[in-house]
Amino acid sequence: MTSSNMTCEAFDAALPDYLEGSLDDSRRTSVEQHLGECVRCASLLRDIENITKEAAAMPDLVPSRDLWQGIDARIAAPVIPLAARPERQRRFAPAWMGIAATALIVSTAGITYILTARSIGPGQSGAVAQIAPPTTQPEVKGGSDSDATATSPDLGVARTQSGGARSRLTPSDGTPDRPRTPASLASQTNADRAHSDLVYGREIDMLQKIVSQRRTQLDSSTVAIIERNLKIIDAAIEQSRAALTSDPASRMLDQQLTHALDKKVELLRTAAMLPAST
Amino acid sequence: MAAASNVIRAAMGDSTDVALAAGGDRQAFERLYRTHANRVFSICARMSGSRTRGEELTQDVFVRTWEKLPQFRGESAFSTWLHRLAVNVVLNARKSEGKQASRMDQGDVDDERWDEVARAPMHIERMDLAEAISKLPAGARKVFVLHDVEGYKHEEIGEMLGITSGGSKAQLHRARLLLREALER
Repeated sequence: MTSSNMTCEAFDAALPDYLEGSLDDSRRTSVEQHLGECVRCASLLRDIENITKEAAAMPDLVPSRDLWQGIDARIAAPVIPLAARPERQRRFAPAWMGIAATALIVSTAGITYILTARSIGPGQSGAVAQIAPPTTQPEVKGGSDSDATATSPDLGVARTQSGGARSRLTPSDGTPDRPRTPASLASQTNADRAHSDLVYGREIDMLQKIVSQRRTQLDSSTVAIIERNLKIIDAAIEQSRAALTSDPASRMLDQQLTHALDKKVELLRTAAMLPAST
Repeated sequence: MAAASNVIRAAMGDSTDVALAAGGDRQAFERLYRTHANRVFSICARMSGSRTRGEELTQDVFVRTWEKLPQFRGESAFSTWLHRLAVNVVLNARKSEGKQASRMDQGDVDDERWDEVARAPMHIERMDLAEAISKLPAGARKVFVLHDVEGYKHEEIGEMLGITSGGSKAQLHRARLLLREALER
């Protein structure tokens, strides 16, 4: 207590606003009068002002190591336009990825079963012969989907979905459409597949290296979820590849494989970009 | 005069590199990193209270910057935008760190520890301001760094942290008093 009207407790309560310069004139005058008479409160104000000045003048800190390499590895993952994706922001949802990957396996296995059963059924010709388009029709552009479906139900489904990633990975070279025989179609499909496998392989290898390097920075439960989902996706990829070995001309199976590879790249990319845990 | 021209040159260099980096030029982005790394690291380390964590967060900030750069419209200086992004990355990282972070944000555990220390100042060796800041309770530390070190206003801090500007003022005052005790002034 001092000779001014203000107590030390009242000064303490008014100090934040005094430092902010937001006291009205009469209260500011009381504070300043108290400061002139009270050593304890004057010392408190001086110390806080010094801390504030010192904090504002603190020099920048320097990291103990060059952080660029880690940043560069995370941003260097090549971006291949794999699929037309919705514009909304994607969030990493391990549970949904697991469900999606499981659904992928189920659908792949089901389709494989149906197509294999059809292709080996009595009185049926081989799958390659079945999906051969009429020689007067271009592979994708010509004819309507309904025409194609009338000619070959399997091909009709494949054509309506022919905007898959593998089509984009092997863009048209601008050459005019040519009549396709089953042999030339199979040959083209194999070439496309080999090329896209190469591209996917490169990207997956690179992403796996990054994820492997970042493994210790990520939360162990997150790593476990990522690995579990990768196993599911790898199983789907294996099944699709096995089915394609039996039915190499199947566009449906090709799309399933592409979809599984997309999922793997997407998951690895997400893992590569995840923020580090403590 | 020379200092002013350096600032102008740096700003002009930034804008060129920002444009190049937004277009995917990683070399330009590395130049931006080299220019701003220490500043961003300072924000991350001081706000998180840990140099190690600060380094991890700094990497996260620049990865996030790379992703968001095409959205930078140049309405503010790149450095202002980057520093704000760094603050957001630190705050969001804390939110996503789960229950432990939640307890830290409320200040329960840290406050108890700090109170023990503050009650027995004679046992504390004199520490410098940087160290004392790192030992502040999480809530008080964030407000102190944002206000007294980074120069944000209470209204901005309140918006960032989801608290009122009055709450920000109260946390700041608490932080300053705790620092004073720690520094034995």
